[in-house]
Amino acid sequence: MRRALPSVLSVLIALLVSFIAAAFTLGDLGQAASAYLAMLQGAVGDWPRYFETGNPSTVLRPIGEAGTKAALLTLTGLSVAVAFRVGLFNIGAQGQMVVGALAAAFIGAQLQLPSPLHVTLALLAAALLGSCWALLATGLKLWRGVHEVISTIMLNWVAVSLVENWLVVGPLKATASGTNSLSGTAQIHATAELPRLVADYSRLNLGFFIAVALAVAVTVWMQRTRAGFESRAVGLAPKAAEAAGVPVARRVLQAMAVSGALAGLAGGTLILGTELKYPATLASPYGFDGIAIALIGQGHPLGALGTALVFGALRAGGTHMQLFGVHKSFPELIQGLALLLVAAKLFWERLVAKKPAAGGVT
Amino acid sequence: MSLDLAPGERLGLIGENGAGKSSLMNVLYGLYHQDSGELAFDGAVARIRSPQDAIARGVGMVHQHFTLVPNLTVAENVVLGDEPTRGGLLDLEAAVRVVDETCKRLEFTLDPRERVDRLTVGSQQKVEIVKALRRGAKTIILDEPTAVLTPQETEDLFRITRQLSEGGATVVLITHKLKDVLAFATRIAVLRRGKKVAEVTPAETSPDQLAALMVGENVTNDVPAAALAATGDAFLTLEHVSAPGLNDISLDVRKGEILGIAGVDGNGQRELAEVVTGLRPFTHGVLKLGATHWKKLTPAQARASGVAHIPEDRLRRAIVGDMTVEENVALGRQHVAPFARGPFIDFAGRRERTTKLLETNDVRPLDPLARAGSLSGGNQQKLVVGRELDAKPKLLVVVQPTRGLDIAAVNAVRAKLRAEAAAGCAVLLVSLDLEELLALADRVVVMFEGRLNGTFARAACDELELGRRMLGAEA
Amino acid sequence: MLQVLDALLKSTLEAAPALVFAALGAVISERAGVVNVGIEGMMRAGAFAAAVAALVMPTPAGVVVGMLAGATLALLHAWLCIRWRADQVVSGMAINLVMLALGTFVLEARFSPNGTPSIAQLDRYLTGVPFIGGFTALTVLALAAPFALHGVIQRTRFGLRLRAAGEKPQAVAAMGVSVSRLRYLAVVCSGLLAGLGGATLSVAVLDRFEHHMPSGLGFMAVAAMVFGRWTPLGAAGAALFFSFGSALRIGLTSSAPGVLEVVPQGFLMALPYLLTLALLAAQKKGAGQAPAALGTPYDPELR
Repeated sequence: MRRALPSVLSVLIALLVSFIAAAFTLGDLGQAASAYLAMLQGAVGDWPRYFETGNPSTVLRPIGEAGTKAALLTLTGLSVAVAFRVGLFNIGAQGQMVVGALAAAFIGAQLQLPSPLHVTLALLAAALLGSCWALLATGLKLWRGVHEVISTIMLNWVAVSLVENWLVVGPLKATASGTNSLSGTAQIHATAELPRLVADYSRLNLGFFIAVALAVAVTVWMQRTRAGFESRAVGLAPKAAEAAGVPVARRVLQAMAVSGALAGLAGGTLILGTELKYPATLASPYGFDGIAIALIGQGHPLGALGTALVFGALRAGGTHMQLFGVHKSFPELIQGLALLLVAAKLFWERLVAKKPAAGGVT
Repeated sequence: MSLDLAPGERLGLIGENGAGKSSLMNVLYGLYHQDSGELAFDGAVARIRSPQDAIARGVGMVHQHFTLVPNLTVAENVVLGDEPTRGGLLDLEAAVRVVDETCKRLEFTLDPRERVDRLTVGSQQKVEIVKALRRGAKTIILDEPTAVLTPQETEDLFRITRQLSEGGATVVLITHKLKDVLAFATRIAVLRRGKKVAEVTPAETSPDQLAALMVGENVTNDVPAAALAATGDAFLTLEHVSAPGLNDISLDVRKGEILGIAGVDGNGQRELAEVVTGLRPFTHGVLKLGATHWKKLTPAQARASGVAHIPEDRLRRAIVGDMTVEENVALGRQHVAPFARGPFIDFAGRRERTTKLLETNDVRPLDPLARAGSLSGGNQQKLVVGRELDAKPKLLVVVQPTRGLDIAAVNAVRAKLRAEAAAGCAVLLVSLDLEELLALADRVVVMFEGRLNGTFARAACDELELGRRMLGAEA
Repeated sequence: MLQVLDALLKSTLEAAPALVFAALGAVISERAGVVNVGIEGMMRAGAFAAAVAALVMPTPAGVVVGMLAGATLALLHAWLCIRWRADQVVSGMAINLVMLALGTFVLEARFSPNGTPSIAQLDRYLTGVPFIGGFTALTVLALAAPFALHGVIQRTRFGLRLRAAGEKPQAVAAMGVSVSRLRYLAVVCSGLLAGLGGATLSVAVLDRFEHHMPSGLGFMAVAAMVFGRWTPLGAAGAALFFSFGSALRIGLTSSAPGVLEVVPQGFLMALPYLLTLALLAAQKKGAGQAPAALGTPYDPELR
């Protein structure tokens, strides 16, 4: 578990630094402390009040919100982590998520199907389109030598421009009903909605279990199968993998297809679970967050899951900070700072390397 | 360690890899720092903390791996770090003049306006020498300068440096080649395990004595004699094969034979090895492995046909440094027993095979879970050799197998190759070291600019003739 | 016709400086071998700091504060990448994420959710004169800066060393020049320029900081740098071209909405990115113009 040490310390330091920043900006230590307490209650539930009132929504609602957000972060985090395993930096999870979201919104609204089939089809469409979007960048990398960092950045903006400035305001725009004009695409049918898990207490939906199951599946793939072994070899030393007879291009394409599919699924889950249509703009940059989640999770699928749970909870709590003059994006600041800290590779290497020497173990 | 250098002297610094030759000189050049002791110039103690201090003291160094910027011109490279300016702007004309003057003085030619990456290795080395002289070097350190040169280029280098020392400069030659120091140095210092064990003059010593001093015991420098017994049928045949960097190659390697490929670095040897192992697609011709003809060959197909590969660049081509030793043992056979069961990794089988392989090949540490990158170079090479031979290959492609190893490891690797050939394996050996080829190969093929330039049976090999062919001379 | 041209030129030259400065910033950092995808975050810092500073001081001084803010972030980037050998892309993206959240948070806590109060814009010269009039000094600077940077990189000592540090840092170190110092300097210059680009948005294009600034311009600057093959003139040319493209798009929206029915706006917005991708894809494989040592931390013990 020594591998997790840098991540845990980074998150703790980031929490502390952000607290100081909040105290300075608000000019009031007490207010900052209250904001943090509100964040905590929003993240894991207001347990004292639950015991006082016995109202289950005081804990189920926040926890459900946390789970909903964690599911999305897990999916995009896994997306970036899988790409890392074959040595590619998928900055394009955002774009893949956007096209996935659109696909889900389209299938959800335009088709009429029985529920299980409808949800499945919408999710598959989201995964497929996300996959294709990722494979564009991968093809450019493998056959034209275009660096994936550049191409995925470009493809993010292409996706956003085409989807939000053309499809959503053009061909797929919802038709106005009555006097109120609508923004975004048409509402999806109820048959396409992801089933909710805790009745009406929260928006927590099946997406959470899908995300956890996929995190486990990716772990098994990477750690226990020979395909995963080959993929890791490709990521760590592509030339050596090639010489060992590993089909490098196939492994890279495979991993990137999965990476794109995961990001696409994040988009699908967002639409089918929470948004219920593609809104005018998809304000949440979960795709970019995926980079932070994967890296703070040390590139390990279970690490990404753990990190996503933590930041999903913080984000659910973030909405409760607004009463104290703190914008709800505050947890994103914590997340960014934690990423900055984790990035200082050499620092952690030295810290981790020093530990055993101090303990007398050689 | 104590050592002194006099003006006009040519010191040969000889020792095995890891004996401390390069560390010593890097201390002198300010790249490393001494833990204790002091350096003095003209009797005055000086502290050298950086290359800048070294340059100020008149020390210049020609590194084994050149420190030239490939896409800058010769002149730009020469002045880098102390650029002439006029009115705040670079004065490249002045730089060109410097190069021209030095070239004239030392009687060689370099085009100052040519980009460095378009020069031959020998010329690049001359740029390094001009660079050192430009900064006023009175002490010039040459780190393994002949490793990549032909005999002719080596002679040219020695002529130039001799001329420099006659002009009062001190020249230090770091090498592990006995022949070079004996031909070049006026004084020889032998290093072993970080200590100076002897100081001799060329006149009072012999190659055998120097070798003994380097290793610390009497070693016989020979490898088991070449298997002159009749070799079998050809296992590998190339017919008019062309590829990027290779031009119309036809050759064969017979079972039980070691075929050596000689050539100046970058004349297609690496490309040849890559074509045979499936790493480089070829555009024309046919490649035959056993009875099968291939017009296209992937690394996986090559391996399945019985080709094993011991590449030059261990850490890039053979080993995944960030994986464990056992994972590296599986590499290449990750999809077959005992390393896999169905689509899954067979962890128990892998562990068992690794433990056995580490023991039989004497790889230290005996830890299947050690990070492969943390092993010493010699142990990494033992791991690679052991792994590749464990696959029972029919053709072994070996590139520079002993580079960077100490004498004991060199002999062990060479003996393994001979034994493998004696057991009927066809061996294709690429080496930049003529001595190695002459010690191991049954036949030697010379490559020049991507094509074959002569084949020599072992008995007919003449070093000078090989050198001429390596530089492109016709028969 | 002339009026249309005048309007197009005006709106191109109005939008271009921010992109030009940021693209030049990207060039200088990457030529020294340090990837800078944190340009977006540095621009955001510059835009915010300039708008806030100009509330209490003359606007030109605010611009300088904006540049310093960009440089401060760049220093952080350099420190992480050089001292702690962070992955340069990771560090850059982390800076973007931090600035995105920090900007929103401070804006909300100290000002209004949408933007800072108005400030005095930079002075405009020769207003009313067609073609050459009505610009701020920043526009002139943006047109001159590419040539100046080109001169610096090609014709000065610093430039030669910078190029060498991006191609083969070992060569620079062996000649007694500190690679770290060169790279720190380059990255900080990069931050100054990105900060200037950001400040341009809030003191010349608009008169305040708005919550979404710079809304992807930093990434477009990186695209311009790649499009311009890591050269100052190429990057600035690409930046001008991209700006012209968006001026044309905005011009069409207002003057000829019919065109947008044929070619959707989304396509036009995606065009610069698609062009960059096409150019990269068309390039001969391996003939990339990126500096050879780009993205690799310099380790004196490796050679």
